[in-house]
Amino acid sequence: MSLAAASPGLTQPLRQEISRDDLLMRAGLSVLGIALLVFVFLPIAALLRKAVENRAGDFVGVANFERFLATPALTDSIGNSLFIATTATILSTLAAFLFAYGLTRTCMPGKAILTLVSQIPLLAPSLLPAISLVYLFGNQGIAKGALLGASVYGPIGIVMGEVFWTFPHALIIITTALAISDGRLYEAAQALRARPWRIFWTVTLPGARYGVVSAFLVVFVLVITDFGVPKVIGGQYNVLATDIYKQVIGQQNFQMGAVVGLILLLPAVIAFVIDRIIQRRQTAMLSARAVPYAPTPHPAVDRLFLAICAVISMAILIILGVALFASLAKLWPYDLTLSFRNYDFDRMDGGGWASYRNSLVMASSAAVLGSAVIFSCAYLLEKTRGFTIVRNVIQFLALLPLAVPGLVLGLGYIFFFNNPANPLHFIYGTMTILVLCTVAHFYSVAHLTSVTALKQIDPEFETVGASLRVPFYMTFLRVTLPVSLPALLDITIYLFVNAMTTVSAVVFLYSPSTTLAAVAVLNMDDAGDVAPAAAMAMMILATAAAVRVAYYLATRLLLRRVQAWRER
Amino acid sequence: MNEQPVDLSRARIGSENKPYLVIRNVTKRFGSFTALDDVSLDIYRGEFVSFLGPSGCGKTTLLRAISGLDVQTSGVIEQDGRDISRLPVGNRDFGIVFQSYALFPNLTVRDNVAYGLASEGVPREEITKRVTQLLSLVGLPDQARKYPIQLSGGQQQRVALARALALSPGLLLLDEPLSALDARVRARLRGEIRDLQGRLGITTIMVTHDQEEALTMSDRIVVMNTGRIEQVGPPDEIYGRPATPFVADFVGRMNFLEGRTLDDKRIDVRGATLSVEEPIGFGRGTRVTVCLRPEDIVVNGLEDHQPNRLDMQIGVMEFVGSHFSTVLHAAGTNLNVTADLSMNDVRSLGLVAGRSIPVQLPPARLKVFVHPPQG
Repeated sequence: MSLAAASPGLTQPLRQEISRDDLLMRAGLSVLGIALLVFVFLPIAALLRKAVENRAGDFVGVANFERFLATPALTDSIGNSLFIATTATILSTLAAFLFAYGLTRTCMPGKAILTLVSQIPLLAPSLLPAISLVYLFGNQGIAKGALLGASVYGPIGIVMGEVFWTFPHALIIITTALAISDGRLYEAAQALRARPWRIFWTVTLPGARYGVVSAFLVVFVLVITDFGVPKVIGGQYNVLATDIYKQVIGQQNFQMGAVVGLILLLPAVIAFVIDRIIQRRQTAMLSARAVPYAPTPHPAVDRLFLAICAVISMAILIILGVALFASLAKLWPYDLTLSFRNYDFDRMDGGGWASYRNSLVMASSAAVLGSAVIFSCAYLLEKTRGFTIVRNVIQFLALLPLAVPGLVLGLGYIFFFNNPANPLHFIYGTMTILVLCTVAHFYSVAHLTSVTALKQIDPEFETVGASLRVPFYMTFLRVTLPVSLPALLDITIYLFVNAMTTVSAVVFLYSPSTTLAAVAVLNMDDAGDVAPAAAMAMMILATAAAVRVAYYLATRLLLRRVQAWRER
Repeated sequence: MNEQPVDLSRARIGSENKPYLVIRNVTKRFGSFTALDDVSLDIYRGEFVSFLGPSGCGKTTLLRAISGLDVQTSGVIEQDGRDISRLPVGNRDFGIVFQSYALFPNLTVRDNVAYGLASEGVPREEITKRVTQLLSLVGLPDQARKYPIQLSGGQQQRVALARALALSPGLLLLDEPLSALDARVRARLRGEIRDLQGRLGITTIMVTHDQEEALTMSDRIVVMNTGRIEQVGPPDEIYGRPATPFVADFVGRMNFLEGRTLDDKRIDVRGATLSVEEPIGFGRGTRVTVCLRPEDIVVNGLEDHQPNRLDMQIGVMEFVGSHFSTVLHAAGTNLNVTADLSMNDVRSLGLVAGRSIPVQLPPARLKVFVHPPQG
């Protein structure tokens, strides 16, 4: 043994020859890795650099931060942002929990329609609820009296708008957490004669606790980094997200914008880290032997939750309805006859119908390019053998956008691509940069969806292919891709809808020839054309909804035919 | 037991004395963990060899080294005279069937089987011919148009087999091919795979943790434990003459009786004196373990003055279906042995719990190891 240990064969581990497949996969990964580096990492690095430079580009250390702290108008925003985010998050999570409980743990009727309504806010830009709230509770609002003299312009309006906009995000997470509970735990608790309230505290809540915390974090970050709602309805109430916008667009103070951006990055990164840790624990929660919980009818409880969910759904529908009505009314609130006048966008500033067409082009390009790149990258990450360091770097870069608010990413894009020394400077101000920035912005969720889908596929497909001397890309095209088609379409739709509704990253990057619909909403509202802004927001909502419906029909009808192999 | 087929295959193997697959000093480490420890093995053309052992014994690691899925840390693997140690998967010559079958769910049975042929550039008519031929070989001639999900587990298994054989590989690797199936199908497929392998004469390696599978299907069994080979041999030898206590314990059921040698042929086992047939060779007073299979204990047709004849009391009788399992206690000693009593013996001798009967522990069936076991 000792002799063998001394022989040269044992000191140097054997290395497998690199096959053509390995080579191609590594080349592909390297290209995608460089792309992620350029379009995710370097812009953020540029932002970090900008924060420690003066206007001339010299290194000034923490001077910008000191100036920030010495400006009460800016530091107040930290408190304001935290207050808004905390309040909106608690309300949104609470509402989502009640709604999710009703959906998963009661036998209330109408679950399908309630679920449908609850998801509508996902299809609208965050500007839409804010505009709608102005019509409801603003100076000329129809329900102004309901606020008992308080002004909607400020914290009240912001919180209401954010709760509307973040509610479906929290709902999805909490519904998932509540849906995957083990029915046996409830049977055991009942067999031990625990009272319902005790079961709720000892079984339901601990089981859903990670989901609730996760929802809380997601909503908190969404609110603190959202700038659509406070921009429209915030009035004089400053928050960090609007400060960035003002510093950069209003005062052209890029350094201060970068400082505020970094401060905004902080809660997002912290939430991201906590969420990652929690998710790692959550996976161990449910054993393979668990039996799904099936609710039993309790007329009183069912009716109570139906009432709660109906109220929440009504609130959503009212906000949507008001925006729709306002967009169709000739002159709110004086002339309420219906017309499409407000949809004649070419008469207003903000880019007109061209911005809507731009949005369609941008969203479709981002959806197609994004899903192709993201899915391929996830596939190569999963299947490449060896190449550990590069794979780890890409893994990190793929998740990084999850921790970077859109505003911060957009700002980084200005700093990085607006630099004439950058060889990619030529994409600045084009449609291309909008597409790339949007893909980068929404990369992580799509990446995680792809990875989940790929992990569900038999890991030996490529091995079997290789043993039959079929190159990996053939197996990818003939097997992996068709099998993953539903997940791939999910990603495409996700990217499209988000690209249609987002304002945060692209608001810094559009040019006069590449205005976008969501940005037009912002600009028309800013210019006082509130009704056309509502009309454009409705156009975005209608488009996103139409795409979703088309997707639903496609999966229902088309996939069933193309993918007959899924049926027994 | 029918010895005929085993003898035939050995004759065929013996006709060529150059091994087809040579494994020399193969070691595989994962960090500080040694999964394969200096493994050497020869496999001959046309042989059906099983790697048998508990999970974590290294059997799958060895298969993955042979297939190139996880190349060994050191050591050499040669196939048909060619050093394949460092070759990537696609440049080796094998077909593989996984436990999950890894059938492509979106392709028909035909396209699954044709998968490798199509990319080799084989003309369409020829592919169709070959697929038909392969499917009838595995007994599924009329299932070509179906999708995998429409087939039973056993049928899927056979499609996977047909696909693995499509390119006429020199080596067939089976990774726990039957463990996803229920017992009845498993038993039938054991025979079918063995039969198919015999007809094609393809060198085959099967990884399994199921001793029955290994015993019924293999020409030779490689018993592995903690990254090492414990014993290599034909099934009857593995079962009847285990080389180590591990093999004795892992394959079949076994009594392990502690004792001390009295001389070269006799052992004091917990107060009873037992003789063995072959000289022990450890010297007097050595602590040893005596192994005896429960079914080797003789209760019927005993004559006086036979060696190792003891009067033993029958303990609780456990009905197992094909036989009774019980514990026998030798009066005046601390010796307890587990015994399988056949239904015939129980009926003809009227055996019941609590009765004392004469019993023989046949000297030829006793296997002696030094205690505590070494290695």
